[in-house]
Amino acid sequence: MSAKRFLEKYWLPLLLLAAAAALPLLIAEFWIHVFNEILILGLFAVSFNLIFGYMGQLSFGHAAYYSIGAYTTGLLMVKAKWPLLLCLPVSMLTAGAAALILGFFCVRLRGIYFAILTMAFGQLVFFIIFQWYSFTGGDNGLQGIRPPPWLFSTNPYYYFTLAVVTLAMLVLRIITESPFGYTMRAIRDNTERTEFIGINVQKYMVINLVIAGMFAGLAGALWGPFNRSLAPDLTGWQHSGIPVFMAVLGGPHHFLGPMVGSVIYTFLNAFVTGFTEYWPLVSGLVIIWVVLLMPGGLFGVLQTSGRFRAKRETGEKEKAAKRAIYG
Amino acid sequence: MEFSFIFSQFLSGLTYGVILFLVASGLSLIFGVMNILNFAHATLWLIGAYFSYSFWHLLQDSHFALWVSIPLAALATGAVGWALEVLLIKRIYKRELHEQLLVTYAVALILGDLIKIVWGPTDRLIIRPPVIQQPIHILGAPLDSYFVFVILMGFAVAAGLWWFLTFTKYGHIVKAAVFSREMVGALGIPIPRIFTWVFTLGIFIAGLAGGIQSAIGSVTLGMDISIIIQAFCVVVIGGFGSLLGTLAGALIVGEVFSFAILFWTDGAMVLIFVITAVILIVRPWGLFGTPMRA
Amino acid sequence: MDNDAILRVEHLNKSFYRYQVLTDVNYTMKKGDLAAIIGPNGAGKTTFFNLITGYHTVSRGRILFKEREITNWPRHRIARTGITRAFQVSNIFPKLTAYQNVRQSILAHQNKTLDFFTPAERLAEKETTELLEITGLAPHRGTEAGILSQGDKKKLELALALGSKPDLLLLDEPTAGMSSEETHETMELVKRLNQEVGLTILFTEHDISVIFGYARKLSVLHQGVLVAEGTPDEVRRNEQAQKCYLGEEI
Repeated sequence: MSAKRFLEKYWLPLLLLAAAAALPLLIAEFWIHVFNEILILGLFAVSFNLIFGYMGQLSFGHAAYYSIGAYTTGLLMVKAKWPLLLCLPVSMLTAGAAALILGFFCVRLRGIYFAILTMAFGQLVFFIIFQWYSFTGGDNGLQGIRPPPWLFSTNPYYYFTLAVVTLAMLVLRIITESPFGYTMRAIRDNTERTEFIGINVQKYMVINLVIAGMFAGLAGALWGPFNRSLAPDLTGWQHSGIPVFMAVLGGPHHFLGPMVGSVIYTFLNAFVTGFTEYWPLVSGLVIIWVVLLMPGGLFGVLQTSGRFRAKRETGEKEKAAKRAIYG
Repeated sequence: MEFSFIFSQFLSGLTYGVILFLVASGLSLIFGVMNILNFAHATLWLIGAYFSYSFWHLLQDSHFALWVSIPLAALATGAVGWALEVLLIKRIYKRELHEQLLVTYAVALILGDLIKIVWGPTDRLIIRPPVIQQPIHILGAPLDSYFVFVILMGFAVAAGLWWFLTFTKYGHIVKAAVFSREMVGALGIPIPRIFTWVFTLGIFIAGLAGGIQSAIGSVTLGMDISIIIQAFCVVVIGGFGSLLGTLAGALIVGEVFSFAILFWTDGAMVLIFVITAVILIVRPWGLFGTPMRA
Repeated sequence: MDNDAILRVEHLNKSFYRYQVLTDVNYTMKKGDLAAIIGPNGAGKTTFFNLITGYHTVSRGRILFKEREITNWPRHRIARTGITRAFQVSNIFPKLTAYQNVRQSILAHQNKTLDFFTPAERLAEKETTELLEITGLAPHRGTEAGILSQGDKKKLELALALGSKPDLLLLDEPTAGMSSEETHETMELVKRLNQEVGLTILFTEHDISVIFGYARKLSVLHQGVLVAEGTPDEVRRNEQAQKCYLGEEI
């Protein structure tokens, strides 16, 4: 692809990446901290969207994999003194393994039952972490997760997160544009037909759940050293609702949708909690606003206005073709 | 192990099960008829508890304070439910699953904070009337005498709902709607109005349950969060839209929890989730639900 | 061994709860056949297709494909052995473009769907474009499948079924909803596929001219029972068949 076409196609992600890289030079440290959180939760939401936007199922227990990744890294760093860089891939493995086991059962269901089972599994993991006091610290959580000295302050850890998240998003983008990615879309659009073209749908769904789980685990792994501590509420169903909301807010049918959703949500959260304790009230109102008035999220709204133009164009072409054939 | 000890555990499981039934019956009814999983159900239950406290507080000089505040709370909560349905829930019936879940979840968030704004963060405690202050003994096992009332109320509500569904014209319509909305609509019965009344009824029961709950221990913020998931488990195990199923599911969860605590204190909730997961995998429509829904 | 018997259905029975839909159906197809099954609505034609393709499980009986028993196999496995089907009601991927629809079918057949790293747009370009042209969908390749016209959706149905390069193709009312021009196009294509590629084809239809114009073998299904079988002319003269379906002589 020529350089010009590359820029035409990828101007948005490139712009966002450039903006993200330039941020520490432009804004105060507190907000860099916020953007770090945006990146981590954004990766969490993008991994969730593999299941939701691309495969068409609603998982309400995705936080289970996020927290398994978080606790894997946290425990390895605190109790075994492992270096952070080594912990990241291990977190992906543990989260992926959990997704494999739980996913095996989940793929036998669809729709609301799939959603409820994922929620039940999420709660299961939550209670295991919560009750296993000796191992995980229970509701006291895990304290004292210290990043290595070269990542200890805000800016370095921000760039580290940016690098890891960008790399992860690249890999996820490649996967969503691959034949596997399109098979996910086929499963979303018409699960039955996908079987009839020879695809073992359940097998493919499990694979997708594992990939989504692995990258949620990676996001969680980044969170521990960032926050310096972990608590079991990272696993609860309320935490599972966050990527759902982010995906819906930004737009589940665009690859960057969940990340944009993370920007809006996290930013709003940081802003609102600055002057009121009633964040649940505000976030509830925002959710209702978005669901009722912005179907397809931000990207959906932008695309609909663009699509009206495109539809008119194709409509004209079709009318001309019909005239040519039928006179 | 002594019989009276086992019986005492049984009674406490029964009480807990009845409380869960009261919370979950409205949830099951709403999902059975309208296919809406109401995340805000427990929060409305909690509002019922707070309403009950407020009414009791107003009337506390009277002997009958508690017995009046409970039905008043049910009515007040029902009114909130009615308003909620007419203003918001009506708009999401035709929406996708994730949109419905997010909206009811948002309602839970909003109402949760509204409770905090109206009643504040401090715990509220109702002082029981003297008639139920002492425990009574059944077959040698002590039982908090208020719990007798709770259990009786639970079965009264179950019986009332059963009578309504089996013997009244409206009940038949509701039962039919659980099977097929389209047919009921095709028979000329206004579906939107049915939905409004079913939703209101479900929330009314939640408010009643909250009122009953208000005299058990104190009323605190966050009670809704812990109970909503258990209510979901009850409805899953018993089967959506089935009254018998919800009762069975609630009693099962109550008793399993009560006895599991003895052997595996930390793991009792885990066991409940394992059972829920197994039911979903093996028989998604629950013990008494209709397979057509799966 | 019967030579070239590509499909053999023996004593097939199917009931839903207590409602018997198919009763003791025996049916054979030789390689290269172009056959049709007709019958009034509710006769069981679609159920017959459903059983062969694994959409439902049989109550009793056997289905053999290329002399291998495939009764009650999982759907994707049956699709992979070489039987595909176009549905009566268009069963396509609505949010994907026509091009992406067809490509998906081809990639599945080529076993490339577990590829995580190659950009899909670079794969199967030639085959996808060819198939779009053969089925007359080339002008709409970039259109979202969900907004195609009914006739185009049926063409896409056919394209999806062909993408799997089947040995046996089942077509459920392939020309329903099509104009006479589109019907002619589609059936000529079906005829070419049968004669030039050697594809064995079985279709159901209500359009009499299509049946008599293209089918070389005809079977009549009535209330789950096969009441007549033979060439179209033989069937036309068969009294039983006339009684239950054709009404008066044509």
